[in-house]
Amino acid sequence: MPTVRLRDASEYPAPIQKLFEIAKAWFKYDFAQPPAMSRVMAWDPELGAFHGRAMKRAMAPGEWSRAEKEMVAAVVSGVNACAY
Amino acid sequence: MAEDALWYEAALLVGVTNALNVVADSPLESLEPARPSAEAQEVFAEILAFYDRADVPVAFRRVAADPGYLADLWGATRRVFADNRLTRRHKEALAFAVSVTTRSSFGTTFHLGEMRRLGVGERGAMEVLGVTQMFSSYTKIADTLQLEPDMDGIAAVDPSPAPGGAPLPPRTATPEAP
Repeated sequence: MPTVRLRDASEYPAPIQKLFEIAKAWFKYDFAQPPAMSRVMAWDPELGAFHGRAMKRAMAPGEWSRAEKEMVAAVVSGVNACAY
Repeated sequence: MAEDALWYEAALLVGVTNALNVVADSPLESLEPARPSAEAQEVFAEILAFYDRADVPVAFRRVAADPGYLADLWGATRRVFADNRLTRRHKEALAFAVSVTTRSSFGTTFHLGEMRRLGVGERGAMEVLGVTQMFSSYTKIADTLQLEPDMDGIAAVDPSPAPGGAPLPPRTATPEAP
């Protein structure tokens, strides 16, 4: 169980809710609530903006496809023993 | 990347990569035979050909005192790194990410070299490093807050059978009790 209460999307200000909509498009998946990580990063939008842009930049297709990069992300998460 | 086969392949690669790294990064120089046996030399020749290099990677030299073990370790390594459903190039990228994440000095240097040898440019290497770094951040944030998985519904379940196995029988609806 998370050590903090994850806020519903509706508890965030309107500009952040717009970002959640953009996140849906990024994941191409209609979440009932934005992913927990999106809601955590939205807690501090100044950090979240930098971090999110760096992540999107890193994950964008380049020499590697998005799918290939998702697999890199998955093995890093696995090696870090991160269940999330 | 929807098929389980790709993820099985990646997971097996992660395991073998880590197995090589733990031996290579440990202070085990004294285990390297000064004069490897003829059997070990045969395996070394295969390794040199596979990697197109002049020196045998330390991870293999250190287990060469047991040529049978060396041969099996090499067989497993060659199998997981060869082109299969995933390309060898992509596998080297995964191994590089694993090595950076586990702070393996041997693995990081070795797999970065292999990526470059297989044609990955500086931009491509930086892309893998960026993903590795970003997800080393997300995973620790998630762990600190003990977040629970909430994205597992994104990918569909792969119903294909095990290699060479029979497919699952079609599901039939259980009759409801009257």
